[in-house]
Amino acid sequence: MKLSLGPLLYYWSREDTLAFYEQAAKWPLDIVYLGETVCSRRHLLRLPDYLELAEKLSAAGKEVVLSSQTLIESESDLKALRKLITDGRFKVEANEWGAVRLLAEARLTFVAGPTLNAYNPDTLAMLAEMGATRWVPPVEMPREMIKDMLAALQPLPNSATWIETELFGYGRLPLAFSARCFTARHYNLQKDDCQFRCLDHPDGLVLTSREGEDFLAINGIQTQSAKVMSLAHRFDEFAAAGIDVLRLSPQARNMHRVVEIFRALAVGDIKPAQAPAQLDRFMPAAPCDGYWLGEAGMAFHPVNTPVTEGEPA
Amino acid sequence: MSNPALLELICPAGSLPALKTAVDNGADGVYLGLKDNTNARNFSGLNFDEKSLVEGIRYAQGKRRKVLMALNTYPQPATLSRWHKAVDTAASLGVDAIILADPGLMDYARKTHPQLRLHLSVQGSATSYEAVNFYRERFGIQRAVLPRVLSLAQVENVIDNTEVEIELFGFGGLCVMVEGRCLLSSYACGDSPNTFGACSPGHAVRWELTPKGMETRLNGVLIDRYANNEKAGYPTLCKGRFEVQGETYYALEEPTSLNSMDMLPEMARLGIAAIKIEGRQRSPAYVAQVTQVWRAAIDAVKKNRETFKTQPAWQAALAKVSEGSMNTLGAYYRPWK
Amino acid sequence: MTLPTLHLPTLPRVLSRLTVTIPAWPFTPPTSRAFAFAANLAAWPSLRELDWSHVHGRHFCVQVSDIGLQFFFTLHAEGFRAERRSRADVTFTATSADFARLALRLEDPDTLFFNRRLLIEGDTDLGLTVKNMLDAVELETAAAKMPVGLGHLVLALRRLALKD
Repeated sequence: MKLSLGPLLYYWSREDTLAFYEQAAKWPLDIVYLGETVCSRRHLLRLPDYLELAEKLSAAGKEVVLSSQTLIESESDLKALRKLITDGRFKVEANEWGAVRLLAEARLTFVAGPTLNAYNPDTLAMLAEMGATRWVPPVEMPREMIKDMLAALQPLPNSATWIETELFGYGRLPLAFSARCFTARHYNLQKDDCQFRCLDHPDGLVLTSREGEDFLAINGIQTQSAKVMSLAHRFDEFAAAGIDVLRLSPQARNMHRVVEIFRALAVGDIKPAQAPAQLDRFMPAAPCDGYWLGEAGMAFHPVNTPVTEGEPA
Repeated sequence: MSNPALLELICPAGSLPALKTAVDNGADGVYLGLKDNTNARNFSGLNFDEKSLVEGIRYAQGKRRKVLMALNTYPQPATLSRWHKAVDTAASLGVDAIILADPGLMDYARKTHPQLRLHLSVQGSATSYEAVNFYRERFGIQRAVLPRVLSLAQVENVIDNTEVEIELFGFGGLCVMVEGRCLLSSYACGDSPNTFGACSPGHAVRWELTPKGMETRLNGVLIDRYANNEKAGYPTLCKGRFEVQGETYYALEEPTSLNSMDMLPEMARLGIAAIKIEGRQRSPAYVAQVTQVWRAAIDAVKKNRETFKTQPAWQAALAKVSEGSMNTLGAYYRPWK
Repeated sequence: MTLPTLHLPTLPRVLSRLTVTIPAWPFTPPTSRAFAFAANLAAWPSLRELDWSHVHGRHFCVQVSDIGLQFFFTLHAEGFRAERRSRADVTFTATSADFARLALRLEDPDTLFFNRRLLIEGDTDLGLTVKNMLDAVELETAAAKMPVGLGHLVLALRRLALKD
């Protein structure tokens, strides 16, 4: 099981971002995704900065992937996308079909991101045929459906390698994208004059129901879950589901602790049932795992202690 | 094609009476779906079985109007054949086009029924010409419905760089999020538009009159509470009232409907092929009211773009049937963002 | 263009006061029986062809707010059946005029809901199912199957309202 660090979904100061990746170079990660996937107005790091980071992380032994923007609206968005692809030094994660077109045209292999909506084996096979070497299922896709997807996928005639499956396994879930910026709206600002208020909310801005229940988190034009998707306690279910890579989504504090716990799970130093207690104090909010089980995403089912349930049959 | 389509009026049909009402009131085409999760308005009791579909196609095509069938959810591995069968049904019954979101399904349609006209659904989330042209090159789509997130200037940029016809939403329920990329519903209740074909499905919704007002809950989560004099909206999460940093407000969007009528002259100038009216979940009464108004407006703008003026009576009629009795230009108008 | 309005006479206040004070009787209230009788006569002939099997036995309540009337009933293979006052699975609340406008297809239920003139409480899915199934019945077809005179009256009323 490989561990990846997903693209940073929030907007942090330049110093904080650079410091974060400097640290990440030392963490026990196999893959690091870099790039701005949420908002084109966020500019504290630009492509040359990401490429420089990519070189450093690559030198530190990480596989680096550059993630493309999810919502492409303008010609300048497309220009940025083309630059990202033409650089060619690093693999790209395509997060919409325009990027897939450009990557396939350039005959480059790529990672098929979660918002490409590959919900069936036909679409997945098409992505693989166009050059995808790894795919991230939509974050709402249940375990059983992932199994069905992989079972139905025919081996590719011209490909020696099987397409890898990367699961969103930890972090606030990216649930929706809009043209509207909800953070700017919160501050009664127009998006074009947002004063970069996202900088004040390094883990997003929590939205609670009128009964005080933490429900969603707003992150610029993105809406996330308030709860943190965590599948640490289900780590032993991944192999049977065909998961090759587990994606950990960056958070502002204690990310290295989170990575270490998942690494300990991967090498068998701790058991899945022990993980929640260890993770708990490093998480910005309560966990959820409903999507994995085919339920409402916000649901959570803790796994019992190994004494009663966790032993192999 | 001799005459490229211009501002065709495409109206919603959730039932046979709605279809006939749309046709009788001047729709150029109707769009509809089957009674299952192959389309994104999968609500109990709504939509068409084969018998009503045959009758609907006969009625509309008999009056030279088009029938477009929405198969715009994402097929899933265990039930893939349901979508294939639906495509086959559409082809054999002779609909004028099918509206698809999933590339795998487009591939099937293209290979199995090469003569069948394909439209890219709004659920396909194509917001740039690169994305639109991807579907064009690979599957030969002839029309794309753009998500309700682009400004008109951005729409123009798409049009300038593709030969695919562009259809825009004119009126009705407003998705604040990029369609096809919104999982808010499944996060709260397990069913998403992408896979289940409905946002906030009825089984998860509860309305209750309480001493504090009318409460709307989605799978137990309180998403709004209306005082007695307040207008209401659909029980979707994007139109809910939440608390952010101690302030309770419509954090994502107010209960409101999209109304782009003021932009009709500009849409005519851009050569928008069709205007889509949202609302397959609504009754024939709505279809009649909205179709009449938009027919009159489109006829007026086609007669003279320069002198076109939105009639106050049209706007009043549309506001009356709108969510929260309010209208917005949405993303077509940049400051909305 | 103006949208049609339909002015229907409201019941005298006395009657309204009378009906709201009806206690929870241990037997089927005559109001519900009258409702079921009328519904079976006027509506059932055109509804019976639809597949109602999944709503059989579910308890409905129609609450007419301006005159304080409540009708309790269930639906079976043979039609509407009046029920005792009980906890309904789903309750529809609106004024008599708005129910009439809905029945004549002059108004869209969602519009009434947005304007807080229609409330659906209880099992929302059941409520929407019934609403959607009723929408799928053509008024002309329904009117043709009503008892002599009534169908004409219904269509005439609708035409009148649309002209208004």
